[in-house]
Amino acid sequence: MKTDSSKILVVDDLVKYYGAGENLVRAVDHSSLQIERGAFTAIVGRSGSGKSTLLHLIGGLDRPDEGKVWIEGKDIFSLKDDRLAQFRRKKIGFIFQDFNLIPSLNVWENIVLPLGLDNRRVKREDVREVLEKIGLADKAETMPNALSGGQKQRTAIARALAARPAIILADEPTGNLDSQTEMEVMSLMKSCVTDFGQTLVMITHDEAIAQMADRVIEIADGKVVSD
Amino acid sequence: MKMTTRIAFDNMRYHKSRNILIGIALILTTLLLFVVPTVGRGMIKLQYAVTDRLYPAWHALYRNVDEETVGELAAHHDISRYGLRGDAGDMNLDKASVAMLYVDEAGLELYKMTLAEGDIPRQEDEIVVSQGILKELGQQGDIDDTITVPYQIYRGGGLDYTQQKEFRICGFFEDSETNLEKHVYTALVSEAFLRNEIPEDEITYRFLLQIADEDNPTITEIEDRIKSIAGQFGIPEDDININDDYLAANYVDPVTVPVIILIMGIIVLAGVITIYSIYYVSMNQRIQEFGRMKAIGATRRQIRQIVLREGLCIAAFTVPAGLLAGTLISRAVMKVFVSFDSPKDSLYSETMRAVFEEGEVSLWCWRVYLLAATVTLCTVYFSLVRPMHVAAKVSEVEAMRMQNAGRKQKSRRKGYEFLTIARLTRRNLTENKKKSAVTILAMAVTGVFLMVVATVLSCADPRESANSSILGQYEISPVEELGNKEHPEREWQEIQKDNPLNEALKQQIEALPGVEKVDVFSKARIAGGTFEEEDGEALNGIPPEYAEELEKGITKGKVTYEELRSGDKVIIDSSLLRGHPKLDVGDKLNLTIRDGERSFEKEVEVAAIGSYRFGLTGYNWLIMAKEAVDRMSGYNSSEAFHVYADKEYDPELEKALADIVDASGRIQMRTWQEEFDEWNTVMPVMAGACYAFLGILAVISVMNLINTMVNSVHVRKKELGMMQAIGMSDSQLMKMLQLEGLFYTAGTLVISVGGGSLLGYPVFLYARENSLMEIRNYHYPAVAACAVSVVLLLLQIILAVGIARSVRKNSLIERIRFSE
Repeated sequence: MKTDSSKILVVDDLVKYYGAGENLVRAVDHSSLQIERGAFTAIVGRSGSGKSTLLHLIGGLDRPDEGKVWIEGKDIFSLKDDRLAQFRRKKIGFIFQDFNLIPSLNVWENIVLPLGLDNRRVKREDVREVLEKIGLADKAETMPNALSGGQKQRTAIARALAARPAIILADEPTGNLDSQTEMEVMSLMKSCVTDFGQTLVMITHDEAIAQMADRVIEIADGKVVSD
Repeated sequence: MKMTTRIAFDNMRYHKSRNILIGIALILTTLLLFVVPTVGRGMIKLQYAVTDRLYPAWHALYRNVDEETVGELAAHHDISRYGLRGDAGDMNLDKASVAMLYVDEAGLELYKMTLAEGDIPRQEDEIVVSQGILKELGQQGDIDDTITVPYQIYRGGGLDYTQQKEFRICGFFEDSETNLEKHVYTALVSEAFLRNEIPEDEITYRFLLQIADEDNPTITEIEDRIKSIAGQFGIPEDDININDDYLAANYVDPVTVPVIILIMGIIVLAGVITIYSIYYVSMNQRIQEFGRMKAIGATRRQIRQIVLREGLCIAAFTVPAGLLAGTLISRAVMKVFVSFDSPKDSLYSETMRAVFEEGEVSLWCWRVYLLAATVTLCTVYFSLVRPMHVAAKVSEVEAMRMQNAGRKQKSRRKGYEFLTIARLTRRNLTENKKKSAVTILAMAVTGVFLMVVATVLSCADPRESANSSILGQYEISPVEELGNKEHPEREWQEIQKDNPLNEALKQQIEALPGVEKVDVFSKARIAGGTFEEEDGEALNGIPPEYAEELEKGITKGKVTYEELRSGDKVIIDSSLLRGHPKLDVGDKLNLTIRDGERSFEKEVEVAAIGSYRFGLTGYNWLIMAKEAVDRMSGYNSSEAFHVYADKEYDPELEKALADIVDASGRIQMRTWQEEFDEWNTVMPVMAGACYAFLGILAVISVMNLINTMVNSVHVRKKELGMMQAIGMSDSQLMKMLQLEGLFYTAGTLVISVGGGSLLGYPVFLYARENSLMEIRNYHYPAVAACAVSVVLLLLQIILAVGIARSVRKNSLIERIRFSE
């Protein structure tokens, strides 16, 4: 299949089943979709609809039974594990529901971790800019345990942004936050897409949140039902 | 089942991997706690059994006891068994000496004399002989055959004229090698013969006795009783002969027991440190669990019980396993110990092997099983005291609320501007400083111990030990004995008067091919003054050839060999300080010098204290110049010829010297080769046993390393998954785990090898000072250090690979989602 260079992400006929026989779960069932560079896309669906599995597959955290994923024209599952890890740290930024910061590293270190893993020199000004942007400029040396939920998630966003990836994948990024913080984080994410020209794919079960995106894709029983 | 026990049991299964490590540590601890006392006890019992077989069983014998006294003695309440021996006479033969004795049945048992065939003599003309005796008599015969015996009877205080008599052979003794070699035999005659030949009032017996020992008396107490009984019956001290060898082997061994207790203490310590550290490292992870239990109503006591019972549950499985393994291994260990020959006493080692193979000594004793099990349970308890306390103290609210409850964390910290794998590793380790320290220290304790023992073992070189215990290749000295009533000629005062170490003998030896030189040492026996209490102390006269060694060995004070020539100054060997700790440089000693029949006073000054090899001192700790010692005597004071040969071992020269020694009958020889063989046999066994023991200790403490590394990965499973999600490759993960392991390894190595080497030196000095294993020179235990390093490094690499593999077994998604 030829990929269109304006499409930063192409998902083609992706299949991922768990279990067998009666217990067979069709987590992702022949799903296909394409995403434009610089777009903010929300994938919505009920709990158990397979949206998380789809996101993991897109992010190369898991391998599909069938189908392919292209990111910037690269078939990511053709890569061996180590290569895939390198690809991830260069091209994909993750934001998780429960933040997943490294507890032994301070805010700054958490942010520069993907760069460090990639042996890239840190451009101090870039990181500062991101910190300013997320409003944690004075918290660079703070440890994660001293941050509020919103601050933690903002740190996670900064981490995803710092490596300037091709695409940022966010898995229920506001799921653990109160409604006010939720709005703060969402607007931050949205402005990042605009300011840094990032592509963002976010999954959520919250229709209201989804409405902030440029495009909403709905998933049910592992299939794309509306776009 | 009680609820706490139920929970403890479930916990044990839930925390399986950690408990398996504790289990292994416990199995090995039990194993060692069982094997050490079993083998120790086994060796002691084996030695008793061997001595029992080799030495007669009487505690003492009284000579010249008449029949009336025999009757009275027999009724004495302190005597549990007695036997009688009456000497009738000797066979009159040219080349052999055959004693004709009457020994009653109890006496035969006490002497451990058994007939190869036949019965003891009862009729007046019956006799028990051996094939050797028949050969010496030039006759042949079997049981019931008649032989003619020429003999002399003891009458009137001496041997009477030779008589001849026909005897009927009623039994046979087996000839020993000594019998045949020395042509010395014993024949048994009947009581009737004795009474017939010797007038009633002239018959005296040797009264063999065993002291009643129901109250487990010590050797000294037994000896006191022997002397006191003799006193009651007017038996003079000269007529008492105490069987020291037998007593020493059968009653209370003073050193072995404390040594075994010390070793067991070390095992317990290693066990406690390891198990405690395993609990300590994984405690944080479980704080929440205990917090929850408290929240739903568990009391402190119940929490403590749960922790303790979980430990005891593990022990319930592992202690029997350890005992079983110990049962199998202890026999194998004994077999190895028994299989080594002592070149100096091959009869002893042979008998030991025989006794062991025949299974006369039962190795296993229920008390040792009980002891090992109890001590292991105590080990578990001691290790759990602190975890129990910590678990019970957990605050329910804090534990429930916080992920990392029970641990204070800084809220701010300066960080690295950019991160590398090495820096990440450092972050994690410094974050868990206490855990890392506990792990490293727990492992290092064993490491240091191992290095110290390795230092001592590497210093004990058979060649050096042999060199230290003998000068040259052969040492020839007079057969000297103190206070043996049977051999007054072996007293030094007597030897001096006709010393076999004379100029003629020296020249004879020097003329032998292969002999390079003969160095002569002298001695003067001293008594009185400081040495009032001691027998056998002597001034050691050392020839000028050893002046340099003497001066070099001085550890305190200053004196030259020239000054020692005057005879007014001595160097004392540091070994003397053990008996006389107050002696110091500058002290004046008033000595009574014994020379032949005469004795005189002499004052000498302690000019210096030194430390010398046994070869040089010959156990005479007061050292002077030879000429000064020689001047004090009107006789020949030569104490030893030290023969230097051109080869370490020259069978021809040894044979030639042995012939000279045999011909004289009054001198004896020690050889370098014997000493070397002795050390060479002993050292590998000892080193092997030590290293096997230390190896098991090391494995116990390695459980700790495994736990720490596994645990550190387990609690960070999610974190590691996270890092991998944002782009850490497998090889980077591997590198990080390797670096962490390397840190533990490096820390352990630095403390073990560094600390062990530093501590090893003073221990070496102590060993040299106390002449342990004849250690003289320091040798760094390089092999042990390398082995420890290599093993640790390999282990850590394997561990990291294993752990990384087990981490990868879960998919990345599973790891990211992982929470406890």
